Amino acid sequence: MVRLIPEFRGAIDPESLDDINELIQARIDGGISRRQLVKRAAQIGIAAPVVGVMLHATSDMAYGKPSLGRDRAIVRMQTAGTKEVTGPTAPSGTPKEGGVLVASTIEEPDTLNPWITALVTGSDVLTGVFGGLMRYDSNQQIIPDLAESFEISTDGLIYTFKLRQGVTFHDGAAFTAKDVDATWKAIMNPDFTAYSQLGWDHIKTLDMPDDFTVVMNTTEAYAPFMAYISDPVSGAIISAAIFDKGPDYFRGDFGRAPIGTGPFKIDEWKAKEQIGLSRYDGYWGTKPKLDQIIYRINPDDNTQLVQLQTGEAQMAASSGSIGSSRLDEVLGYGTVDVYERPNMAWSHLDLKHVDFLRITKVRQALDYATPTQDIIDNIQKGRVVRAFADQAPITTVYATDITPRPYDLEKAKQLLTEAGLTQNGDGVWEGPTPTPSKDIDPNTDRGGPTKEFKMEFWYISGDSVTQQIAQVITQSWNSIGIKTEAKSEDVSTIWSPDGYQFNPDTMTACMYSWFNSNDPDNMYYWHSSQIPPDPTGAGGNAIAYFFPLNFQAKVDELTVAGAKETDPEKRKAIYIELQHLIFDETPVVFLWWSKDYSAVQPNIGGFWPSPFNRLLWNAQEWYVTE
Amino acid sequence: MNAFVIRRLLGAIPLLLGVSVLSFIFMQLAPGGPDTLLAKNGRMSQAQLEAIRHNLGLDEPVHVQLWKWITNLVQGDLGVSFSQQRPVRDVIFDVFPNTVYLMTVALTISLMVAVIFGIGAAVNQYGWFDNVTSFLAYFGLSMPVFWFGLMLQIMFAVKLGWLPSAGMRSATGGGTFDLIKHMILPALTLAIGSIGSWSRYLRSSTLEVLGQDYVRTARAKGLREQVVLIRHVLRNAMIPFLTVVAIDIPLYLTGAVVTETVFSWPGMGRLFFDSLTKRDYPVLMGILLLGAFLIVIGNLLADLLYALLDPRISLK
Repeated sequence: MVRLIPEFRGAIDPESLDDINELIQARIDGGISRRQLVKRAAQIGIAAPVVGVMLHATSDMAYGKPSLGRDRAIVRMQTAGTKEVTGPTAPSGTPKEGGVLVASTIEEPDTLNPWITALVTGSDVLTGVFGGLMRYDSNQQIIPDLAESFEISTDGLIYTFKLRQGVTFHDGAAFTAKDVDATWKAIMNPDFTAYSQLGWDHIKTLDMPDDFTVVMNTTEAYAPFMAYISDPVSGAIISAAIFDKGPDYFRGDFGRAPIGTGPFKIDEWKAKEQIGLSRYDGYWGTKPKLDQIIYRINPDDNTQLVQLQTGEAQMAASSGSIGSSRLDEVLGYGTVDVYERPNMAWSHLDLKHVDFLRITKVRQALDYATPTQDIIDNIQKGRVVRAFADQAPITTVYATDITPRPYDLEKAKQLLTEAGLTQNGDGVWEGPTPTPSKDIDPNTDRGGPTKEFKMEFWYISGDSVTQQIAQVITQSWNSIGIKTEAKSEDVSTIWSPDGYQFNPDTMTACMYSWFNSNDPDNMYYWHSSQIPPDPTGAGGNAIAYFFPLNFQAKVDELTVAGAKETDPEKRKAIYIELQHLIFDETPVVFLWWSKDYSAVQPNIGGFWPSPFNRLLWNAQEWYVTE
Repeated sequence: MNAFVIRRLLGAIPLLLGVSVLSFIFMQLAPGGPDTLLAKNGRMSQAQLEAIRHNLGLDEPVHVQLWKWITNLVQGDLGVSFSQQRPVRDVIFDVFPNTVYLMTVALTISLMVAVIFGIGAAVNQYGWFDNVTSFLAYFGLSMPVFWFGLMLQIMFAVKLGWLPSAGMRSATGGGTFDLIKHMILPALTLAIGSIGSWSRYLRSSTLEVLGQDYVRTARAKGLREQVVLIRHVLRNAMIPFLTVVAIDIPLYLTGAVVTETVFSWPGMGRLFFDSLTKRDYPVLMGILLLGAFLIVIGNLLADLLYALLDPRISLK
């Protein structure tokens, strides 16, 4: 039986396909081209008219166009009714001069200070209000913003930026090199409590040979440097005069009425209602066409959807994206178009590396015992893409040659047996655990106490789809003898110092979604330096809190090498090797990459949802038509 | 009476302090803190996390935090919001007026309708008016607020398009008329519950008064029924009713989360809920304190009203 939902498996050798169904499936999955299908069909003796039907039937279902020379697999799977993003929206009709656009979201920004906001909704607004030295375009390429050009020295340590002249801040102050210097100093100053110093912490000294040149001397060759300091939000350049007003002003009033160099300025922020932006006429770039953008704040998606339905809101995207469970509803309104684009967010089950979960084969068994593809087909309705490692399919470093593990309960049991476990009288797996010490190899050592294989499956409460998925996975694990109990808590509780991550006595899995940044650097997740020092500490490698990963040394080596390597081809090779390592070792069970659904009224032009950028990234190009 | 008021207000101070301490303790007991998500979410270093914690005063022991809060409080400083990094006073009073507007309108509607329903039902006991209004009252009492709100929204905003669906004002701004249009649906939603309870209360209170001797005397004297009602029945029936209302008002002013969520009204209810999920302790404490204070005032008003309206009661 042919599976109609495509699943990208990489290129498939046509010689390995032996019947009509396999051929059709391979074509749907994007593994062979039309030419290969025709050729192989002829080879195995399928009649020409039948081949014609096969071609016709699969013509618009091919998963991607993996041109076998190009490594970037652009996902083009369509959900009926949604449109694909191929560029900015271009409605027919005459563009109006000026006009007001009402965009909506479901969470209020915490602050509009780009260095302190912790929420995507804050970044959504700020990406149109501030500028960075560079910025990203929709193809993951870094392009000039406040810096017209830059040069990197041959040893990769010295970055020279030539700054744009004639740029002014929203209060009229001129932008010069000293603003870059002041920004850097403030970020590194703990009094200003900047939330992320990534990138900027690699600058040893900063020289300003003249008002429009900045020379950064960095501490070591660091590939993500440009990426981290290139963002209008996380790399926002702020006027030196603002920092002179002190940390309290910076954290407080500046966060309510910020001043940047972007195409739009903040007019006012009515608490819990909306943020009003208007065109900044002194913007250095393309003059924005809209007069005003109103960012309407709603308490949840229900209220937002009602406003989309009545037309009171004209756009819902990025932090205000339509959830996949509400998609059909929104498609039924008739007032908005819905655009689908890939995402940098990956859903996974994080596994606490204690007891049996320190053993590679056990983790692989859990992957085999998780009905991921079924969940994708039936609960997610095919609206997500199967994941097997941590680099997004739309990025240049995505490993196209890895096949995710199928749902195979027998294989799972076999792996558990190979790992040294046995099923007791009740069918529950049990056996000796690795010695609870950091210095042993858990794949061979079984010197610890004998335990039953009991797991807690945690998920974030509040969403019925998440709950369903959790129940399906829990039930599947229970069915092969892993005693699993599903538990849920709200976000703040689940990751509190008293949460599941820091309890040494339980084996746990937690399902949630994590968000990649534009640069492939992933030291944050896997490197040993990122293991939190205590339950209240910082660090993204919490799964290794009790014991380092059994492959920690290798992953440390590769993540560091990836961060250091500045040659793009070599860097890509490192991340591909890293993905293979991560897939083989399965430190967490990877589930899927989500899609983003943006709703916008058909008469809005210039809107371009980009996975690498937040909402207002190209707001100066937006316009309304008659 | 002045002595009475002053005594009550003075007595409120230890009460409010007690409320603060208790709420502080309960909040600390809840797992997680404002920095939980930061540690997990930001790509921040340990040093930065410590700096942020220090800035929020979270690195100090709990009793020190409480003491600092109380000493600030007596100086009139409610502290700084963790998530918004600005004074709690500003955070609360940005949205408090919005709740006041909504509640005033809702209360007015409730009062008017409850009086008509309540007294009308009592006068018409077991008649058609009584049956209809009783049915409506029970309906209002038992129906979930969010359902009613959603139904109103779908009917009037989506299907008919007569009224805006959510928010307090139009995106592009508007005057008083715009505000009124936005207020109608949420105010009605809020009113429905009160109409239910108040009309029933007033109905039984009126029935009791109607059975009194002096009413019979008034009728015997030949007064018109309307005069009997307004001059004798109404005033006496309202006494206990008004005290109930006076106690309910402060509860309203702390906001109605559900209605505010359905209609995206930027009020205290939403602020409370958002602060709760973000574990923004200073704001939560500020709101709880405000609520406690309003309840004290409400009770005081109720007692004063009672003494004012009922000559049998005197304040001691």
